[in-house]
Amino acid sequence: MFGATELSFTYPSGRRGLREVSLRGDPGERVVVMGPNGSGKSTLLRLVSTELPSRQGSLTLFGEACQPPSRALRRRIGIVQDTPVHLDDLTGMENALLFAELYGLLRAEAASALAALFTSLGLDDPLDVPTREYSYGMRKKLLVAEALVHEPEMLILDEPALGLDPPSRAALLRMLVERSEKGVCTLVATNEPALAQEFATTVVLLHEGGVVAHGSPAELLAKVGGATRIEVHVAGAPPAGPIHGDPSAAGVTPPGPTAAGPAFAGLPADIVSIQQLPGRIIAESRSGPDVLPQLVGAVLAAGLKIERITLREPDLTDVFALFTGQALDAEKENA
Amino acid sequence: MTVAVLRTEWLTALRRRRLFVFNILIPLTLVTTIALSPAPAVHAAAVFTVLFALFGTFGSSIPLIRDGESGLLRRYVLTGIHPGGLLLQRVFAAATLDLVELAPSVLVIVAARGSSASQLVMLVPAMILGLLAANALGAITAAFAKSVAEGALFSAVAALLLLHWAGTFRSPVPGTWQATLEAWNPFLPLHESLLAAAGAGGPDLDPALLTPPLVTTLAVLLLITAAGRYTIGLGGR
Repeated sequence: MFGATELSFTYPSGRRGLREVSLRGDPGERVVVMGPNGSGKSTLLRLVSTELPSRQGSLTLFGEACQPPSRALRRRIGIVQDTPVHLDDLTGMENALLFAELYGLLRAEAASALAALFTSLGLDDPLDVPTREYSYGMRKKLLVAEALVHEPEMLILDEPALGLDPPSRAALLRMLVERSEKGVCTLVATNEPALAQEFATTVVLLHEGGVVAHGSPAELLAKVGGATRIEVHVAGAPPAGPIHGDPSAAGVTPPGPTAAGPAFAGLPADIVSIQQLPGRIIAESRSGPDVLPQLVGAVLAAGLKIERITLREPDLTDVFALFTGQALDAEKENA
Repeated sequence: MTVAVLRTEWLTALRRRRLFVFNILIPLTLVTTIALSPAPAVHAAAVFTVLFALFGTFGSSIPLIRDGESGLLRRYVLTGIHPGGLLLQRVFAAATLDLVELAPSVLVIVAARGSSASQLVMLVPAMILGLLAANALGAITAAFAKSVAEGALFSAVAALLLLHWAGTFRSPVPGTWQATLEAWNPFLPLHESLLAAAGAGGPDLDPALLTPPLVTTLAVLLLITAAGRYTIGLGGR
């Protein structure tokens, strides 16, 4: 469906949007691109959607070179941009019919196809209302319906679930999976690890315009192991001195290889790594929450006041951090 | 070829009722004031021509720039519609809308200045041609503008320059290159027909006067269509 070989893009300002990215998407494949803001996700999508010219490296769509893109080629693609733009004086149905017609559909066939899409997305009621009165989520759903109405062979979606409520999000993913099972190739950009893990057949991690890792979600998660991530939020500054486990507790041994040195001596061996950040201590546990008593004991022994403790399983943000040493979701890391 | 964009422009204009009424009333106010005043025909016609030309140029360029900035044009083009065809539909839609919105003003000129039936008949093709040219000019200036303010500036300067070359402010000396330029200028029939309708006297407008400006206008529209993909900057063939 699409194939990029050493695809690069430089913006007029000189900023490199993408650096020698090689990637392919086959029929039925669901490729999810993740990366922090400015990593090149949207640039990649804009190149594959033919919005930007692919002059550095090569890009093929449906087996043919796409520069300049033909009208027929563009009609084989459905696009959901990150910002849902509509004609705000027209109703949702009028907007959707317009784009269906531009995709080459007759109004009658478009109307029936749209009716089914609107029902699936839960957008039946406000169809006769100007889109200026729509919420962001409703606009996004309308955009999705407009991108799917002509049954494209390839879908390109930039943050498709952003702004959607949980039922709509589930409906969207269901519709996308159904289409991929019929052979539609899907290229998605998102910063939502849960969406990528749930939906993707291939995940591509982008950093500073280049691919740092790609593979199935399972393959990528295997790289960070299955250690549970325990975050202990503490009041005040991080401990100045070492955090020690209770030496009398069973199984207390020096921590694993990524532990932060002698400050954490004496914690259970199942804690494979521990990090001290301002206001937080993050530990990775091979035995899930079983190590909590020892960890809490060590933190309290260091004279710190625990505000809350969170546990989560590793996700693709951890894979990204492993490869780049940086947080994929800075907000989450700094929360 | 679908005319969905043209139809949508009309639908949008009719939905914006307040703006639609203002677009009729604002030129009507100016035209009525001048048409009913003892202003000499030559001055009145110059004001009417400038007003109508700027009405068309601004009405085309500013919405195009605004829709380019919002990403709407990008959305249109990515559906596979030919960029030149898109521009052409926008120009035709805007020109026909302008014609409807300016029709009351034209009727006021004719009524207030006691124009003849033949002068009114000549005003129709001249208005169509002038408004098509003005909107085409707006589409061209929109391609060079990076903001609405720039678009307004470029449109005003380009339109006034073309109006000057159309002899709106002063007729060129016969036989000079300015006179040749004037003969092919799409705003010439608009100015001449408004001059006649405003009561300048003299013979009615010669229909043959329409041919060279018509050729120029068609050539510009063809250029817009052919260069559409460069104008909008989204490629496509």
